[in-house]
This record gives sequence, structure tokens and C-alpha cells, in this order.
Amino acid sequence: MFSKILIANRGEIAVRIIRACKEMGISTVAVYSEADRDALHVSLADESCCIGPAAVRDSYLNIPAVLTAAKVYGAQAIHPGYGLLSENARFAELTAQQGMTFIGAPAKVISAMGDKDAARRTMKAAGVPVIEGSGLIEDEETLLKEAERIGLPLMIKARAGGGGRGIRIVRERGELLPAWRAAFAEAQAAFGDGACYLEKYLTSVKHVEMQLLADSEGNVVCLGERDCSMQRRNQKLLEESPSPAMDGALRRRMTACCVRAARAAGYLGAGTIEFLLDQATGEFYFMEMNTRLQVEHPVTEMVTGVDLVKWQIRIAAGLPLDFSQKDVALRDHAIECRINAENPMEGFCPSCGRIRLLHVPGGPQVRFDTALYQDYAIPPFYDSMIGKLIVSAKTREEAIRKMQAALCELVIEGVEHTGEFQTELISQPEFRAGTYTTGFLTQWIGS
Amino acid sequence: MLSKELFKKPKNQLEHAETVLPDPRKDGAEEPCLACPACKKVLFENDLERELFVCEHCGHHFRVGPRRRIGWIVDPGTFTEHDAGLLSENLIGFPGYEEKLAAAHKKSGEADGVLTGTAKIGGFPCAVFAMDPDFMMGSMGTVVGEKITRLFEYATREGLPVIGFTVSGGARMQEGILSLMQMAKTSGAVRRHSDAGLLYVAVLTDPTTGGVTASFAMEADVTLAEPRALIGFAGPRVIEQTTRQTLPEGFQRAEFLLEKGFVDKIVDRRKQRMYLHTLLFLHGREETL
Repeated sequence: MFSKILIANRGEIAVRIIRACKEMGISTVAVYSEADRDALHVSLADESCCIGPAAVRDSYLNIPAVLTAAKVYGAQAIHPGYGLLSENARFAELTAQQGMTFIGAPAKVISAMGDKDAARRTMKAAGVPVIEGSGLIEDEETLLKEAERIGLPLMIKARAGGGGRGIRIVRERGELLPAWRAAFAEAQAAFGDGACYLEKYLTSVKHVEMQLLADSEGNVVCLGERDCSMQRRNQKLLEESPSPAMDGALRRRMTACCVRAARAAGYLGAGTIEFLLDQATGEFYFMEMNTRLQVEHPVTEMVTGVDLVKWQIRIAAGLPLDFSQKDVALRDHAIECRINAENPMEGFCPSCGRIRLLHVPGGPQVRFDTALYQDYAIPPFYDSMIGKLIVSAKTREEAIRKMQAALCELVIEGVEHTGEFQTELISQPEFRAGTYTTGFLTQWIGS
Repeated sequence: MLSKELFKKPKNQLEHAETVLPDPRKDGAEEPCLACPACKKVLFENDLERELFVCEHCGHHFRVGPRRRIGWIVDPGTFTEHDAGLLSENLIGFPGYEEKLAAAHKKSGEADGVLTGTAKIGGFPCAVFAMDPDFMMGSMGTVVGEKITRLFEYATREGLPVIGFTVSGGARMQEGILSLMQMAKTSGAVRRHSDAGLLYVAVLTDPTTGGVTASFAMEADVTLAEPRALIGFAGPRVIEQTTRQTLPEGFQRAEFLLEKGFVDKIVDRRKQRMYLHTLLFLHGREETL
């Protein structure tokens, strides 16, 4: 087991990883930018190192600085968290070259899944249903031909994109050509790779993702699904498990599919496969695979009792899983509400400030993951998510009640945040019915 | 503000302490890295090579050898080297010149300060030359002068445009007046090439100075330069001492020369191939009435 790990991240996820390490007896090294000197993860870790100025690209994305800190402090492994360098194949490769273990998928798997077009083809070959779509669009002739075959509405997706970026929706024939040209140029500028493919645009679908763990001995376990259909601008706001749209039979089919997919990809570590589920037909389609820990991982932890971060670390240290698929059962119902420092009344404009008063709800099966503390000044340079409130209970009805109570007990004074907005959201009949699809939230906000 | 001593360390033994970790010392060599001289940021050599030796953070153009340069510009497999066997000799008995030449061979891996030959760029045949910053600072002696001259004469006979990359400390001191004479010789060959109605494009790279600037480097039809390249004749100190004036900011840099009309366009190395191709295309078309 690693005696020391460097956490190449910040905020609540850095705190989460440090907590897991403390439980396991592993020493921790935190890295921080100049703007994060007073961050919680810096004090919580055993050692810390400043790696650059506030801007993310000069600090948390500064690969030479992160690697140097890891070497100097004698870390044996680096945990990248989510976002930032977690899906940077080059970083994974360089970490390994420096003689340290990258806690995540192998570099070549990250590259393979990072190319969205190649990922689709790998999945298709493994017998995983994929959304009707095309290969890479080389020219205008192919564009028109494929668009004709797939049918409108469709999405133009950058193969180097992901996480909701590099996507354009085309609803009318006239939009097709300009949208493709624009998508190519945008992707070229943003990712250095303009290649795009087409995918049928499915509306009224549920976004259901499956959590996987794969160890170095070839064991692959699926830890159930998370329903993440509550999205605004392709960003998730609320997640729950189990999905109200799932039944045992569908879950078994999707589990088998995922395990096949993970094996086909040569996966190692914790990963998530995202699907779109058509509630009417019960058909599900592969969307993309995320080769990292997800923000909403606590939801799965609450319903399975499996500590995903600890298992990431154990798997990276070469330890095998000590449970198999038959030991996995989804017990209870869990919901997570993301708390963002944004003002819902002002178009979700980000809000900054000093936390004057912080009161965190508690009680049975109530969990609040955050890096906030009283008198903390939130720096304006980073993500607006300041906390995740997760609850679980025996039934979905009870979980909603618990979330309602917990949200109302949560006090964060000093910034505008989306806590109250979430209480409104979970009172909506579409949420209570569980049938809400990916288009619901945007439509509800608009009205 | 949280004190660093605020949280106590939990008394937890390391779990699974007996597990054998993946072997840390792999056989893979450590990837070499260096710091950009301009912005001081750390660059990995593989990344730098991919960016044609341009710093991805600040755009600083590193000095590169002639074979790399030509390799980036011409169509693969089309470069044919000329006059590879020409080697410099100590013509005026300058002390230490043989040692300097031997050291230069070793450092650059080249025969002398310029690489010449023919190639195709985007399918267009042309004559190319690229000077070598690692061979005695690209200084021009009789061999450099001869190779350049022969290239222009060849191009004149074959009706080829010339594309050339300059980098030089000036005339090669160790060959005295014979080096200076190369200025006139090369200029004569360039003039005849021009009289034949043929195109000559020069790309001035950092640094291009002295007798090379004062001859063939500045005699092109289209004069391009790399960003921030130092281009001049006399060095800044000599100029300051002679004119007794403080020189303005950016004096003798490519951008300054662009402003004053000595350079036609500054082209980033990563865009040079496309730009040169375009120039060859524009100047290569037969006029039809």
C-alpha cells in the first residue's frame, strides 16, 4: 500500500480523498495555488506545496509543477480527483514515467475513451448498443448523406470533446452546414482537434450512468446506476440511485453490458459508463465512458456501502476486490443535491464571498461533502460548486422528505447559493413522479 | 484562515502494509525537460518537438538545426542535398581554426554552416538552403559562400525559385577577407537569379547579423522573419557607442524591422510551410491572357 499520496486537486474532492487516506493510514500531500492558501484541503493534509498562481492552467493544470511537488515530497502515487488532470492521458503517462502510480485508468485507456468516436466503435464492437450515428465527417458530402440517413434532430459532436462540451444541436436542414463548420472550428480551437461525428438527438430520455470498479486481476463489478437526468446546460444538479426508471431486469441487462464494455476497454480502476435511456421503449444507448471518479459518487456509496475512493487506491496498489458482483445490492434510496455558489434568480450568476455562518445538517444517513468552513473566503477562480448534500432512506419518498429537511437546515451565509432552489425542485410533481427527463429542468427554469 | 496544526493526525496504521507495490523504477527513461529561456516555464522535450520547437506558452522560437527546418517545410522524401562534400580549410593560417572546425562538426553534426539542395514544397519544385546556428554560429566563410552561390546558379539554370533560412553571426573571421568577399559573390549570384525572373524568399531567423544580413539575406523578393528574431548588421553595443544614443525598446527585433519596412511579414514557424506553399503557388502560375 502507498505510504504517501499526492492529491492533484482542490475543493471538496481533495478533502474527500484526504479523508480516505487518513482512514487508511496513508500520508497525504496537498497542492494549492496562491489563491487557495487558506483552503481546507491544505490544512487537512499532512504536507502541502504551493504550485503556482491562481489561474488553473498555471497551478492545478501545471503538470511539471505537480510532478515536481510529488517527487520532492516523496509521494508514491498521485490521485487526480475529477476534472483537472484526471482524464489527461499525458499526465498519467508522465506520472508513470516518473516512477509514481497514477490512481486512475491506464493512459492508453484514457486516450481511447477520450476519443469519443473511437469509444463508440469499441463499445459497438463489444455488443453495447450505441446511439444511431455516423463515423467521423470528412467532408460536406458525407455530412449531408449521413444526416439524411440518421434523420433530424441530430447532434454534431467533437470527438475530442466530452462532459457536455463540443456539442451542437441541429433541428433543421438549413442549420446543418453552418453548424458543422462552426463545430469544427470551435473544437479545433478548444481541443486542437476539429473532427466531429453525428449522433441522433434523443429528447425525452433519461441519463442513467453505471458505476464500475475493475481490478488488476480482471475482476469487474458494477455498482448499480445513478439517474442524472436533472441537468442544466449539460451540467448535473441532482442525482439519485436507484433510478426510478429502472427495474431489476433492465438493471441486469445493463450490468452485463457494462461489464462487457469494461472488459473490452481493458479498464482498471473506478469508471462510469453513461447511457441514455428511452423510458417508453426500455432501450438504452451508450453515450460516453468517464475514466475517472465522478462528482456524484457519494450516491453510489450510500446505496452500496462501498467506499469508492478507498477502492480506487487499493486497486491502484494492486489489491484485488474482496467482493464480487453477487455481493452487490442496492439498498435504500439515495439523492444528492449539488449546492452551487450561484444566484438562481440572476440566471445562475456565480457568487463569491466570505462565509459568515455555516451550519451543516446531520442525523442518520445525511452527508454533506464540502470544503467550506466558517470565515472562509471563496476564491473567484474556480468551479462554483461549494458542496454536495447527500441523503439516503429506505424508500424514495422518505429520501425526498429527508432531503427537504436537510436542505432547509443547511445554512451558508455570505454567498448566494442554490439550496433553496433545490427545495423547490424536489417538490415538483415531475421529480416526485420520477419520470423527469433531461429536458425537464431547462424547461421548468424557463417557465 | 485555518492553522496548519488544527487537525490532529489519526492514529491509524497503514492498511495492507505488506502488499508489494508496483515496481517504481521502470525501464522507461525519464522524459527530458527544459525551461523556456523567455518565459521560464518547464517544457517537455517531446511536447516541444511536436510544436516545432516553439514554446507553447509564450511563442518563443528556439534555434534549430538546418535538417529539422528543411524537414518541416518540404514534402517528405523530396529533399536532395547538394555539395555535401565541401569542407572548410584554414586558408589564411588563422590560429585555432582547425580546432574550431572540429568542434563545430561535432556540435552540429553537419559539414559546414549551410545545408543546400532541391526539394518540393506542396508539389512545387524549388531550391532550398538553411543555415546552421550550431556550426560556428552560422558564420559565412568560403564554403558557405560557395554553397549558396552554387545553389543560386543551379536554380537559375533550372528555373527554380529559392527558399532560404538564415541564421548567422556574420562573416567568418577566421577566413578574413575571403569571407567578406562571399558577400559580393553571393549577391552576384542572387542578382542573376533575379534577372532571370525567378522568385527568392528568405526567412530570417534568430539571430541574422553581420555580413549575411548585408548580403544575400536581405536581397530576397519576399523577406519573412520569425517572431522576435534579432536581425541586424552591427551589434547593439557598437551602435550605441558610435551614435551615443540609447536604442529604443525592441531595436533590431523582427517586429521593429517590420514596422520600418525591412521585413515584409513575420510568420510563426508552425505556419511557415503553408505560407511558403502559398507564395510558391501565387508566383508559380503561368499567366494566361
